[in-house]
Amino acid sequence: MTDLIDLNNIHLTLADKAVLNIKSISIPAHQCTLITGRNGSGKTTLFKVISGLLKPNRATIEYQGLTLPWKKAKPILQKDFIYLHQNPYLFDDTVLNNIAYGLYRAGESKAVAHQKVMQALDWANLSHLAHRSAKQLSGGEKQRVALTRARILSPRLLLLDEPTASMDTDAKQQTSELLQRLKSEGVSILICSHETHTIDHIADHFLHLENGELTPASSSKRTSNVTVLNPSKKSI
Amino acid sequence: MNDLSQASLNAFQLLISGNTDIWEIISLSFSVSFSAILIATPFALIIAFCLAFFQFKLRRACIALFNTFMSVPAVIIGLTLYLLLSRSGPLGDLRLLFTHKAMIIGQILLCFPLLVAMAHATFQAADRRAWETAITLGAKPWRAFFTLVYEVRFGLIAAIVAGFGRVIAEIGCSMMVGGNILHSTRNIPTAIALETSKGEFAQGIALGIVLLVLSLSLNAGVSVFQGKGELQQ
Ligand SMILES: Nc1ncnc2c1ncn2[C@@H]1O[C@H](COP(=O)(O)OP(=O)(O)OP(=O)(O)O)[C@@H](O)[C@H]1O
Ligand SMILES: [Mg+2]
Repeated sequence: MTDLIDLNNIHLTLADKAVLNIKSISIPAHQCTLITGRNGSGKTTLFKVISGLLKPNRATIEYQGLTLPWKKAKPILQKDFIYLHQNPYLFDDTVLNNIAYGLYRAGESKAVAHQKVMQALDWANLSHLAHRSAKQLSGGEKQRVALTRARILSPRLLLLDEPTASMDTDAKQQTSELLQRLKSEGVSILICSHETHTIDHIADHFLHLENGELTPASSSKRTSNVTVLNPSKKSI
Repeated sequence: MNDLSQASLNAFQLLISGNTDIWEIISLSFSVSFSAILIATPFALIIAFCLAFFQFKLRRACIALFNTFMSVPAVIIGLTLYLLLSRSGPLGDLRLLFTHKAMIIGQILLCFPLLVAMAHATFQAADRRAWETAITLGAKPWRAFFTLVYEVRFGLIAAIVAGFGRVIAEIGCSMMVGGNILHSTRNIPTAIALETSKGEFAQGIALGIVLLVLSLSLNAGVSVFQGKGELQQ
């Protein structure tokens, strides 16, 4: 098993409070890692650091054979990784243009971008939404549009912040299917959540965050069965 | 009373008949104020954005400074600029006093703090996720800035219109550094003041109508536009 990226000595203080203090975290390539942790444990903060959006006080990055301080690695992290917010933000435009945003930034022509978007929408079963105004979508639809918008850019790592929070069972099911397919396409995925049961079966690795510190999860591979059999473990 | 209604009637006649003097004054007013807003806006937006999105030393002091400068009276800005630009002043060699350019500079100084303060409030209220989403999807910072500007365009347009409203109607600064010279630096407010003091009410009223209609329609336009922005949330 090769690691996509290793981060060492992550320290971050916000408003005089130590929010992150992590010795080392490794994210395996082409697999799905699930990070659990209660509210305020630092999951979102860690994800933003990894995706190059939030500057830590200190951190070293080992990525593609290079060891760099976070500041030097920032443009690479921003380029190769995509972070999805807990409630994804869609621009005030059509769904089609939202998904094409990253393609335009990468210099794709309008015609090529639109063709790719249509294929991607088809992949996600969202073709009927193409010309809708993105601001008017439901939460679950927004989540899946945002996922499609990320996938189309073929990121090296996809960081999903609570992808199924505030979704009904149906939407959770659809999102979890999309994630499953992303994984089978070889995309490395990092998910955080405080509820594990909907995503458990996708995840290959489990990490646990507590007060900004990483603690080993109880076992490296847990199945949904174990969670059901042992309800006390569920309430992490 | 009869005089006044007669003057109002004459005012409408002046406007409709296309009196060249009046329309020259109106177009000068617009060209000066548009230029000022056009030059001030890009810088104001960038500064406002930095104040809202980046942490740096003196950030709070800068915000307080712009908020304070918003309330400096036009005539004080005019006086300061006059002293700077007058023959014996430090910038006297530029020969800018009593020119079009001097009026534009004055109006830029006048609207800049207002633009920054209002745009800052807009960016402050903007969704941080918009910026982060643009960056994570591969936008360079400049591009992400424009994306964000588009996302909060309703608030920014309100700021720009408010800035325009302030400069098109101000008199103190234009009078001092423009000098109210006919065919050269006479704009609507300075012309109203002059014509009224001469007892030429018709021209004063005609220009007053133009200014009033403009202000009312700008404000109405902003209300409609902002309402549209809210509905979309
Ligand atoms: N800008 C900030 N300033 C000060 N403290 C912050 C800031 N952002 C986050 N924090 C603090 O950092 C800690 C971690 O926050 P974070 O959002 O990473 O938690 P989380 O694990 O994502 O929580 P949740 O499950 O509720 O999303 C919290 O205690 C929070 O109050
Ligand atoms: Mg969070």
